[in-house]
Amino acid sequence: MKDQLIKLFSSPKLFVYSLVWLMILVTIGTVSQKDIGLYASQQKYFSSYFFTFGFIPFPGGRIVLTLMLINLISMMFKQNLWKMKKLGVIVVHLGGIMLLVGAGLTAMFSSEGSMVIEEGSKSNTVDDYHITELAIINVSNPNYDQYTIFGKPLFSSGNNLMHENLEFDITILDYMDNATLETAEGTSKVGFKGMLSNFNLVELDRDKDDMKNKPAIIFQVSGTFSDTDGIYGLIFGQSVPATLTTNSNQYVMALQKKKTYLPFAIELEDFKKVMHPGTEVAKSYSSKINLIENNIPRPVLIEMNKPLRHQGYTFYQASFIESPNGEETTVLAAVNNYGRLFPYISSIVMSIGLLLHMLVSMPALFKKKKS
Amino acid sequence: MTSLFKNIFKLCLAIIVFGGDVIANDLRVTDIPIQEGGRIKPLDTYARNQALAFYGKRKIKHENLSAIDWLLNLFTNPDKGLEQQIFNIRNPEVVNALELEWTNNFHKYSYNEIYPGVENQLTLIRSIFEKKEKDRDTFESQFAELYQNIMKYREIVSSLSCLLPLFTVYSPETAESLHISPGQSTSYAHIMSHRASLFDASQGILTKPENEWSETEREIALLLYNLQQASADEFAKALKIIPPSKNDSTGLWISPWELFDGREIEPHQDKIIKSLEKFLLARFQNDVSAQNAALKSYKAGVLSYPGERINFSVLKNESWLNKANLFTNSLVFYLLGFIFLGISWMIRPTLFRRIAFCSLILGFLLHTYGIFLRMVIMSRPPISTIYETVIFVGFVIVLFSLVIEYIRQDGLGVFLGSISGAMLHYVGFGYAADGDTLEMLVAVLNSNFWLATHVTTIILGYGTSLMAGLIGHLYLIEKIRVPKDSARLKSIYNNMFGVTLIALFFTLFGTILGGIWADQSWGRFWGWDPKENGALLIVLWQLMMVHMRLSGLAKPDKFALGMVLNNIIVIMAWFGVNLLSIGLHSYGFVSGIAVNIILFTIFELVTGFGTYYWARSKKRLAL
Repeated sequence: MKDQLIKLFSSPKLFVYSLVWLMILVTIGTVSQKDIGLYASQQKYFSSYFFTFGFIPFPGGRIVLTLMLINLISMMFKQNLWKMKKLGVIVVHLGGIMLLVGAGLTAMFSSEGSMVIEEGSKSNTVDDYHITELAIINVSNPNYDQYTIFGKPLFSSGNNLMHENLEFDITILDYMDNATLETAEGTSKVGFKGMLSNFNLVELDRDKDDMKNKPAIIFQVSGTFSDTDGIYGLIFGQSVPATLTTNSNQYVMALQKKKTYLPFAIELEDFKKVMHPGTEVAKSYSSKINLIENNIPRPVLIEMNKPLRHQGYTFYQASFIESPNGEETTVLAAVNNYGRLFPYISSIVMSIGLLLHMLVSMPALFKKKKS
Repeated sequence: MTSLFKNIFKLCLAIIVFGGDVIANDLRVTDIPIQEGGRIKPLDTYARNQALAFYGKRKIKHENLSAIDWLLNLFTNPDKGLEQQIFNIRNPEVVNALELEWTNNFHKYSYNEIYPGVENQLTLIRSIFEKKEKDRDTFESQFAELYQNIMKYREIVSSLSCLLPLFTVYSPETAESLHISPGQSTSYAHIMSHRASLFDASQGILTKPENEWSETEREIALLLYNLQQASADEFAKALKIIPPSKNDSTGLWISPWELFDGREIEPHQDKIIKSLEKFLLARFQNDVSAQNAALKSYKAGVLSYPGERINFSVLKNESWLNKANLFTNSLVFYLLGFIFLGISWMIRPTLFRRIAFCSLILGFLLHTYGIFLRMVIMSRPPISTIYETVIFVGFVIVLFSLVIEYIRQDGLGVFLGSISGAMLHYVGFGYAADGDTLEMLVAVLNSNFWLATHVTTIILGYGTSLMAGLIGHLYLIEKIRVPKDSARLKSIYNNMFGVTLIALFFTLFGTILGGIWADQSWGRFWGWDPKENGALLIVLWQLMMVHMRLSGLAKPDKFALGMVLNNIIVIMAWFGVNLLSIGLHSYGFVSGIAVNIILFTIFELVTGFGTYYWARSKKRLAL
């Protein structure tokens, strides 16, 4: 029984069929980027266990890669594999296992976001690229702010959000992945509070570039038993902060990209962009920063292809913003990835394995003609 | 044929004496440094680029003029330049819009012919430029390009007019104050360098009424008026041949006219401008020794620039490379190799196959030397633009063909190498026709370490993959031609599998290296970007073929067909993903390439499946 299972799961045919399906996935997932953008395509085909086409479910990237990993591992239990002349083959496949395990770790545990810092100012927060959250901040205490955060999975219509920090209840009425504001002339706005007493939130189609999407949320506040009860709306990146006042407390509310607070801060001293002389082609970008930990600053230069690694995080020069009055703002990508060493090791292992295998098999494949 | 051999002989000679050539100290006019496209290049390259932009070729063919001579003629005789029929307009719609006649002189027109038409169409031109580049139709983009070209041409023509002897002074006092002899002509630049004394002499004019002016004062007034007129050329700043001031931090070189905008002229700039003036005069007078003397002091002027030192031997390398046409000559040898191989099939097989082999080696050496020189000039690894990928894939395939020929000694390697080497050179010429092939790189690519490792490995992977596909074609053809020669078929199949393993090594390792580069510079190993996916597809396809062979799903015929189809995937990953024009790797987009990719795909499908089923039907008949 065990042998049969190993035989089934370690079959090279299983590997071939998985490969065929993976190739189909990669092709569809690449071509569809033209229509739905990279992020949505990646979520649908590669970072999923299943996706549906019409109403028929198909296995997504994670299922296929898991199957391939099982296939590779079962292969290691084959009796006739462990021979000296198959050493190269064994090493290559071990490398393949490491690569897939690393990919799994990355898919599960890595996070990436951005850190936007103006020249002369500092930051200790990383904003996730994609995930939104609802932040309700109690600002009544002059000594500290109290944050209450609700994550995106809670945003389905009709959900009630309650927390001991808050003396009111929130009922989600609507959540939009991409929205815009329109002035609400002539419509009755009874019961609407804050921004929504003057504006309507209108849903838009999702943009291909996920960074351009502006999510919005509409929710009902109840339980303050005052004029504060009513319907509120928030949109990502709004310029006027939304406030809420109850009898005893004052709150600020925001729909924001998920924030991670770091145990250290980064201060931007100078951002530099160098062009190839006389052209519009950039030669290099760099940020001169101070890494401040326990109030002790340390100067660091982050350049293209030369990131800063610190406490499990890696900071890359990703982008920049130039304001018309000459102020520069750097955009650093911040990545936290536990699996990042796996590709390095596995690529070396696989290359060594393939080279070994070629050393063994090449002489027979390129036999010199007998003269 | 004789001229071909003469060229080959000259080329060999040039290669032999090349070492000595670099040591020679004199500056040739082709090697004058100029800044364009973000780098310092020889004037020769600049001239060729301009000729290519205006005329469509790197030399002025109908006047049998090299690009550099054409450019220098423009400088010494701007008026004639405006009359020269140099603009090649290929679209009759553009000609009509300019109210010109379509039939004239192979559709070549002069600046003076085109300009009136452009002036009449300014509203149209403005409306074109208000559109985004991708929204313009063919006529609009060509018309816009022509407009930009003639504006640039006007600028180039006048770039050195400040150095031409356009002003003649007869009065002895004025001549003396300008340090020339009476009756001698001199340039704007020369007069400006003595403007203080001219200013003193002109004081009288301002205080006296016009009827009391002396002969000298009248001449000075006229001279001032003419100088004023000449300074209308100040806009001509195209020719960035003068190193900047030592305090400059931008690294921007300046053009001669910019020197006269009131700034202080530094010693090295003064020396350069004076030598250039002497050179132009000597050239106008056809005085070769005076030209050489002027160039010598020009070089001294450039070398006295206190900033970054100009490397003249690199400039010399580049203008030599321009002239040597190494890749064209390499193509000639590849074609010769193919011809000799064809002869060997008819008579004296061993002798002619050896000659063909030697010819392929010679072509390969020129090919290699060309790549090597380009690396020296740009001081970076061999591949950084899509043009260079084409040249390098050709190099890889010919290299492996040579190895295979050396092992097999039956002409198969020569056959593969000569055909694919020649074809890839042709593709390369197509890319070279777009402009300077030695380009500067955007920031993220500007890393010699990763260009050397990831890019080179992945292109080696493309090359060897295509090689395996080509052998796949050959295998299927041989299967039809000599189905009974199982020893031969077996050895070709083995070679194909061997090359496939090598290809798999390079594509796999290259793709992972690419992931590591991405991890280093963007913070993620894999992002499902189209270019990454393209490379991944090649790896997956090859993994599939290897495992199909292993599990018995693919016998030799099917394996060969699989490697032929792999060619389609390679081409898609190499050129096709750029067509999606999305993703982080979408540099190197070339319009019109879609048709070629489709034709290639159809060709591979038809020949691949065609030969596969033909071979199988033969087998069935034989049974």
